[in-house]
Amino acid sequence: MEALLSIPEESEAILLSVGTRRMKDKVASFLFLIPYLAAFCLFMAFPVIYGLWISTHKWNLLDTNHPFVGLKNYRDLFNPTTSVHDPFISGLVNTLQFVVYSVPLLIICGLGLALLVNALPRRWKPIARTIYFLPTAISVSVISVIWLWIFDANSGLLNYYLKMIGIPSIPWLTSLPQAWIALVLTTLWWTVGFNMIIFLAALGEIPEELYEAASIDGAGRWMKFRSITLPQIKNITLFVLITSTISSFNIFGQPLLMTRGGPGESTQVLLVSIYNEAFHSLDVGSAASMAVVLALIMLVISVIQFLLFKEKKTRVSKGETTL
Amino acid sequence: MKKSNRVAVTILVICSVVIALVFLLPLLWMVSTSFKPDDQAVQAQIHWIPQTFTWANYIYSLFQNSTDVPVIRWFFNSMFVSVAGTVLVLVVDSLAAYALARLNVPGKKWLFATFVGTLMVPWIIIFIPMYLEFSSTNLLNSYAALVLPYSANAFGVFFLRQFFISFPHELEEAAQIDGAGKWTIFLRVVVPLAKPALSTLAVFTFIQIYNDFMWPLVATSSPDMRTLTVGVAVMQQGAYTASYGKLMALSTMATLPMLAIFGFGQKYFIKGVTFSGIK
Repeated sequence: MEALLSIPEESEAILLSVGTRRMKDKVASFLFLIPYLAAFCLFMAFPVIYGLWISTHKWNLLDTNHPFVGLKNYRDLFNPTTSVHDPFISGLVNTLQFVVYSVPLLIICGLGLALLVNALPRRWKPIARTIYFLPTAISVSVISVIWLWIFDANSGLLNYYLKMIGIPSIPWLTSLPQAWIALVLTTLWWTVGFNMIIFLAALGEIPEELYEAASIDGAGRWMKFRSITLPQIKNITLFVLITSTISSFNIFGQPLLMTRGGPGESTQVLLVSIYNEAFHSLDVGSAASMAVVLALIMLVISVIQFLLFKEKKTRVSKGETTL
Repeated sequence: MKKSNRVAVTILVICSVVIALVFLLPLLWMVSTSFKPDDQAVQAQIHWIPQTFTWANYIYSLFQNSTDVPVIRWFFNSMFVSVAGTVLVLVVDSLAAYALARLNVPGKKWLFATFVGTLMVPWIIIFIPMYLEFSSTNLLNSYAALVLPYSANAFGVFFLRQFFISFPHELEEAAQIDGAGKWTIFLRVVVPLAKPALSTLAVFTFIQIYNDFMWPLVATSSPDMRTLTVGVAVMQQGAYTASYGKLMALSTMATLPMLAIFGFGQKYFIKGVTFSGIK
């Protein structure tokens, strides 16, 4: 009887060793993760928390004392009497302007180029794709050098050719609507290839049969585009929308190097204001609070875009079930 | 029907050529200007082919031997940082991705979700605290500051983990039956087969690090630690403001490595971009 009720010694030993082996296995597996985890903690998790911490202190790079001030840095941003208010608000407005001007173009032109490349004869596809995508391999500083020169009011390439067709010199970088046009065009030239590649991949996933079936039903090109292509790329368009918006919010190099914030401060974007606040005014606490606000705004806008798009999708699919 | 189709295609090809010119001409302009002496770089008349072809700008930029403009050092910095950063990312990310895809890591789903979530965290929040982190450990203006931060980017982990998940199990199982340990399986079986994904990540990461502007700008304070990307911007705002020939020469030299890598690694770069879309 005893032998039946108690676990024989050997089995107990085996069970114990299985337990330790599993533990050893977990530890060994975890070792693989440690390098990345260390990097992640040092250069992602800790900085985020540290950044929030800094934003609640009065923190000048030259001071040794950094007193806790709660939400004062944040309140100062919205208080018209402080020196940080103007660069913050105008920076925010300028960044928002850039986002509004650039994102629709980035999406539409990205899709347009993808459709164009897709429609080309097979021979021409790879080379067109390569050429349109090429500028993304160039750094922002070189881009700014090239386009600063092209947009130069006196001897720039653009005005030279415009003059030849009778249009007088346009002060591209030194006056107002033109400076935004210049910045948006430069950014478009530089990064539209990225969106094109993504749209190309999405277009490639659409099954040919859908188009063939539509042809049989007598659908024309525009009809096919509207009822097959567009719905099929809805998800990828959402992705492009969100990533383009985030990139545009992050704009820094072009206004810094091309317009230097000008004319006046009308193209000084928020990231430049933050940079100035941290490294020229040396007020890191205030700069950190600006960064947090910008990040929150970006998060809210991304979420809104996500929700808006998802909703539209269910409406469309509900409509199509009447087939 | 056929004829109108041919007309349509011809129009498309013409459009695509015009657009291709729009993308190529500014680059050609940069190269062309780089071969012009300074007094011809800025002219009322536009000449696509330099009236006086000269290598002087390149020679000057490379060998001027100024402590403020150590171009060769900048080139070295960019290359070193990009190579070191890419190797670091490949090693760290492949280990982590394999662990998250295949191994028995406690809480791996939760960990993976957290890592991927950080892809949405905007860079601005991080760069100021990171600056202070490096400053307080006296590592500002060093290669450590230039290279290390890239290892925290979760894109590579995400990308490789998805790749490893779709790996067939048989090879690893066979190796396990033969008595191989995790480490051996990873090194001898998995990594060699992951070459396409690793190459894609390598090209992608290399170009991103090389072209990075804001962080090297923030993290370096002395001319000899700057990367080429920052150096071009500094020269454009400073000593080369009026010397367009030299500026274009510097820019051309800075861009050539990327264009070369882009040319050879293009399919990898495209795969990387496409993957980030499919997620």
